[in-house]
Amino acid sequence: MSQSVMQLKNVSKTIKNKQIIKGLDFEIYSGEVFGFLGPNGAGKTTTIRMMVGLMDMTNGDVLIQGNSVNKDFKKAIRHVGGIVENPEMYPFMSGRKNLLHYSRMIPGITEERIQEVIRLVGLENRIKDKVGKYSLGMRQRLGIAQALLHKPTILILDEPTNGLDPAGIREVRAYIRRLAAEEGVAVIVSSHILSEMEMMCDRIGIIKNGELISIQSVEDALQQTDTKEVSVEASPIDRAQEFLKQKVDSPVQLDSNTVTFNSTREQIPGIISGLVNEGIDIYSVNVNRSTLEDKFLDLIGENSIE
Amino acid sequence: MNNFIQLVRNEQMKLYSQIATWIMLIILGVLVIGFGVLMKVDNTMISGEGPTGENWKQELQEQNTQLKEEQQGPPDPGEEREQIQYPSYTDIEMNEYRIQNDIKPSGYDVWDFLQTNRSLISIISLFTIIVAAGMIANEFKWGTIKLLLIRPISRTKILLSKYVSVLLFAGTMLLCLYALSFIVGAALFGIDSISQTYLFRQAGEIQEASIFQHTVSMYLLSSVNLLLMATFAFMISAVFRNSSLAIGVAIFLMMAGNSIVLFLMEREWAKYILFANTDLTMYLEGNPMFNEQTAGFSIAVLFVYYIIFVILAWVFFTKRDVASN
Ligand SMILES: Nc1ncnc2c1ncn2[C@@H]1O[C@H](COP(=O)(O)OP(=O)(O)OP(=O)(O)O)[C@@H](O)[C@H]1O
Ligand SMILES: [Mg+2]
Repeated sequence: MSQSVMQLKNVSKTIKNKQIIKGLDFEIYSGEVFGFLGPNGAGKTTTIRMMVGLMDMTNGDVLIQGNSVNKDFKKAIRHVGGIVENPEMYPFMSGRKNLLHYSRMIPGITEERIQEVIRLVGLENRIKDKVGKYSLGMRQRLGIAQALLHKPTILILDEPTNGLDPAGIREVRAYIRRLAAEEGVAVIVSSHILSEMEMMCDRIGIIKNGELISIQSVEDALQQTDTKEVSVEASPIDRAQEFLKQKVDSPVQLDSNTVTFNSTREQIPGIISGLVNEGIDIYSVNVNRSTLEDKFLDLIGENSIE
Repeated sequence: MNNFIQLVRNEQMKLYSQIATWIMLIILGVLVIGFGVLMKVDNTMISGEGPTGENWKQELQEQNTQLKEEQQGPPDPGEEREQIQYPSYTDIEMNEYRIQNDIKPSGYDVWDFLQTNRSLISIISLFTIIVAAGMIANEFKWGTIKLLLIRPISRTKILLSKYVSVLLFAGTMLLCLYALSFIVGAALFGIDSISQTYLFRQAGEIQEASIFQHTVSMYLLSSVNLLLMATFAFMISAVFRNSSLAIGVAIFLMMAGNSIVLFLMEREWAKYILFANTDLTMYLEGNPMFNEQTAGFSIAVLFVYYIIFVILAWVFFTKRDVASN
């Protein structure tokens, strides 16, 4: 494993006698994309606020490159760039002026560096416009540009794809992967959407009601060959059902012109070619849930907000 | 230090990127020019005319005699009384002082215009309160406070840069008021003389001062109220993170301040009320509100209030969590 750049040590937060974060303990390594996954109200934003010193911890500490956020805030935060919740900028100033503003707050950021991050997030053409006229996607990009100005070793993005269209999501995903792979930046992204996390993260930590309930590498999870739920839209459907009843062990459910059953990944091609040989027409095949999603839902149980 | 200057530059950049700031400057300019033109056109508003001719001494002497006669008691019925010629020169001792020391009254000129426009400082107070109230609260409203505080800079330094920015704004407005009033006044009313002597009473005693020095002192002393109210608004903004509240409370107190003091005049502790002390011009020209009050006393009281405001702002800004609202 590569070097650890951030350590959370028994981080807890109590607000008005209610424990919102319950003793989080984990590490982030350089060059990885760490997904912080949890349902609404799980405590993702609260944890991120404590990581960057916006909120005090009731207990515990966060070490960033060995510097305590509690005791040595300035040294610790120097290594961090981030967006907390929405990418909020000064709407009455141009994108450029917004970047200039943040660049003045950390010594050593040159004009060239500002140009470089503008190019990196692809805002060259609109950088002179007032931020008030930006779309959410453009503000998200400007937010990322702002976070990268001082070449941080840790990038923290709270719901970075929130409100973006599919193309925007793909783009953000691409930057994040590139930053981690090419610059060795450790990226922490939070989200409540698993499928999104699976696509961009190396590891995912699942948080529920302020507790970390699982940390898992995405690769491991995907390689597990558990059974999957498969739906096939076919015609004639009753013959398809007959065939499947003989072929698979699990119960086969019929729902208008679709049959649903469980099978392992390896079995799927055999089953489909069998159906075709029977002269059954197949209109679609869906593998419904990935194992990780099952696991996620199992872990968080019902999405009840305490 | 270098770092701190950058922070102040940032605050100034944000301030002057907002249209509201420019509107305030424009309103101030319009008021100064408007006042000047109005007074030029309608000179009944000018109440300062004095005997400025060759034989001014004689005229003042005559006016004094007339004033003394009036003091003797009510005139006999039927006897016709002459109108007093120079209503601004009714202070007999002052007139005598002029005659003895050869201080010729001057006509209404740029200096008088400057003195009149001193009342516009309350407009500047209003504007500065609005700016101070927004300084911190707006960062919360815009959500930008989060990006501002995740930099390797202490919150104390950020707070200070914002406060300095408020002071810079007030200073800029004051300078604009003084300079523009001077230019407009000189253009419309002329400069009688650059170094005339100004006469005034300080706690009953007649005093002399050079007019430039006197107007600058009066402007600065009038700004003390502004400083305290702006600091108060800044504090409320830091504590409650709400600019409307800060503007409302600060403006209410500014308007109601004198009434509050008058209402509580009889109480023993009334002289410790902030507003009983904010008008320091009473020590330069005029009389203190309470007998026991001295300039030193007022400055001490103001200092204590000031420190309380600053400490409250600091404690709340540096210690409180920045949570979602
Ligand atoms: N200032 C506060 N005072 C009281 N409770 C708070 C405060 N801030 C957050 N909470 C509570 O803490 C819990 C965690 O909130 P948080 O915003 O961290 O969740 P989240 O995981 O970011 O959720 P989301 O996906 O909705 O953004 C919630 O139950 C919330 O009500
Ligand atoms: Mg959140």
